[in-house]
Amino acid sequence: MSFIAIWVGKVLSFALRLFGRRATSLPGKAALRVCPSLLRRLSRQLEWCVVVTGTNGKTTTSAMLASILRQGQPIIHNQEGANLPQGLTTALLQHTSWRGRLLRRVALFEIDEATLPQVTAALPVQVLVVTNVFRDQLDRYGELDTTLDKLRAGIAGTDAVLVVNGDDPLSRHLAESSGHTVRYFGLAAEHAKDTEHGQTRDGAFCLRCGERLDYEAFFYGQLGLYRCPACGFHRPQPDFTGEIRGWSLRVREVGQPPSEVTLRTRGVFNVYNALAAVAAARTCDQSADHIAAGLTAFAPPLGRMQGYATHPPAVLNLIKNPTGCDSVLQAIVSEPGRKVLCIAINDLAADGRDVSWLWDADFDVLAGRADIVGCVTSGLRAEDMALRMKYAGFTGSMVVQPDLGAALDAALALSNSGPPSADDPTSTDVTVYVLSTYTALYAVAELLKGREHLHGAALAYRTSVS
Amino acid sequence: MAQPLHIAHLYPDLLNLYADRGNIRTLRMRCLWRGIEVTVSEVPAGSRPDFARYHLVLLGGGSDREQAIVGETLAKWKGELRAAIEAGMPLLAICGGYQLLGSYYQLPDGTKVPGLDLLDLVTVAGSPRLIGNVAVESDLCGTIVGFENHGGRTTHNHEPLGKVVRGCGNNGKDGYEGVQYKHVIGTYIHGPLLPKNPRLADLVLARARAYQGVDHPLEPLDDTLEDAARKAFLTRRVQL
Ligand SMILES: [Zn+2]
Repeated sequence: MSFIAIWVGKVLSFALRLFGRRATSLPGKAALRVCPSLLRRLSRQLEWCVVVTGTNGKTTTSAMLASILRQGQPIIHNQEGANLPQGLTTALLQHTSWRGRLLRRVALFEIDEATLPQVTAALPVQVLVVTNVFRDQLDRYGELDTTLDKLRAGIAGTDAVLVVNGDDPLSRHLAESSGHTVRYFGLAAEHAKDTEHGQTRDGAFCLRCGERLDYEAFFYGQLGLYRCPACGFHRPQPDFTGEIRGWSLRVREVGQPPSEVTLRTRGVFNVYNALAAVAAARTCDQSADHIAAGLTAFAPPLGRMQGYATHPPAVLNLIKNPTGCDSVLQAIVSEPGRKVLCIAINDLAADGRDVSWLWDADFDVLAGRADIVGCVTSGLRAEDMALRMKYAGFTGSMVVQPDLGAALDAALALSNSGPPSADDPTSTDVTVYVLSTYTALYAVAELLKGREHLHGAALAYRTSVS
Repeated sequence: MAQPLHIAHLYPDLLNLYADRGNIRTLRMRCLWRGIEVTVSEVPAGSRPDFARYHLVLLGGGSDREQAIVGETLAKWKGELRAAIEAGMPLLAICGGYQLLGSYYQLPDGTKVPGLDLLDLVTVAGSPRLIGNVAVESDLCGTIVGFENHGGRTTHNHEPLGKVVRGCGNNGKDGYEGVQYKHVIGTYIHGPLLPKNPRLADLVLARARAYQGVDHPLEPLDDTLEDAARKAFLTRRVQL
């Protein structure tokens, strides 16, 4: 065991926290430089671990699952976004004694598809969850086929039981061709819609034989009730079936009493996250009590429809790829009341430097709607986003403001200046929906929090002038 | 009243890796804003394109696997495509579509995936992928900006689309980007290509209209946002 590497990592971690910095990957990076096999050496002390991978919903799914697993014992869990080897090492180091002993013996790791093959062989993976496979951040992954190859290689490095989204033909193909034990989760067929509104359906072709898949109905994106007319490849009967009843999700498993989960966020994609977490927890032999208590204790991670008490109120969402963005846009337009959008697009490495995905996302749903009062575009690619809105046919008020703080102020001002509701001029039925890519998310969240503080002041000011 | 301008998007269900729908949308909106009627035919995988009816054809990019499927399909009708091109039909081919115009795409293991052999052009897979923001200077329409992401190195014996100012271009070596032959434009630039390059979009539209037989210049549009996006890109992204 390399004590020097452990000390380097731990001292750095301590120092970063001392100065109030997020120590999510730098300590691990430095420690790995001293001892490249440190990740393997530390994780050898784990009794077992769970890995969550896939394109969309990794963070939410693993946060829910972490909350469930914690009911049984303390676990090691890597921070959102810190899912490269250095992030995993940092997470392990936090629970390592100065003498190199791992103090917690169960871990849950959220890992990028691209990183998976580099790390799975070093980890005692008991359960591996694939949330779904969508097109994501093209310049990081090259092409969809590359992503699939990475997932294949990552899975092949383990003996894990796979917990897989059976409604997704790409994940299904990965699972059935892996030779591993697989447990599928999926939504009840009654929730599928026969209308084909998804524009970006990568799974539309059979990965076994290349034929176009027939869909009886869709859940979202390429997720649906599919079958290949040529080779018989088809959607499996789920081992865990999700039924949505208002705000609750009932998870049915053959031979077991159903679990009820209260949904606290909107959108079908959030239902899948909860379903994946429950399926994984059951596969890890977690009791019904632990599952229920864990989900109750779960707080949604940043950027999943968080509300802020600004004036008017704001809701923050992370967007990072077309399918995830479409789900967010669908959720927003189905909300009641008037809306102002503030869309912050960055193109740094963690966002994906190629912003062409904006043109695959269905911003067109925002055009021609009377309830959308205006749109402010921001971030390093504010102008590109404005152009996207123009070509979407959006003709409402538009402000281009690269500075995030000024953009939020402009969005809040736009909402306050909009025409008042006819029957109640003081009505505050406007909401600012803030959409942000990854590298702007934390800054935007802080700025919104700061404006929550101003909320009282703004109200007082309004009172004094009226 | 003229017939609507007929644009064909070939195999968007297979070739839409780099937001090629954004190019179609740009062409469609720039017609709409000028009161020009336009029809877009999305030709689905496996089906036969009717080249005699189109005034403009767009061929996008896909993964190697999808590109090979399209190559096989289109090979059956390449005679008709060649005739239309010789007659002056504009064809915009991007990334994978650009590579398909040539005689082959050589995979890393040496296998040559046959192309449509429409141009004297070959592509050889290389490493690393050429990825990043790109700006080229073209005689056709000034500076063209966008993003490139390709493993293939393309060389050809035609006019290039332009000279690379920032980025890698066709092969990262000879300093040229894209190809032009008659009214065919092939390029690695996506982002997508047309929204931030309105002059190029209008050039393609003007050629399509001329090919259709409509003798009517395009009215200028308000390109304030387009210009702002270009300016932001050139100052913040490629520092020209
Ligand atoms: Zn098949």
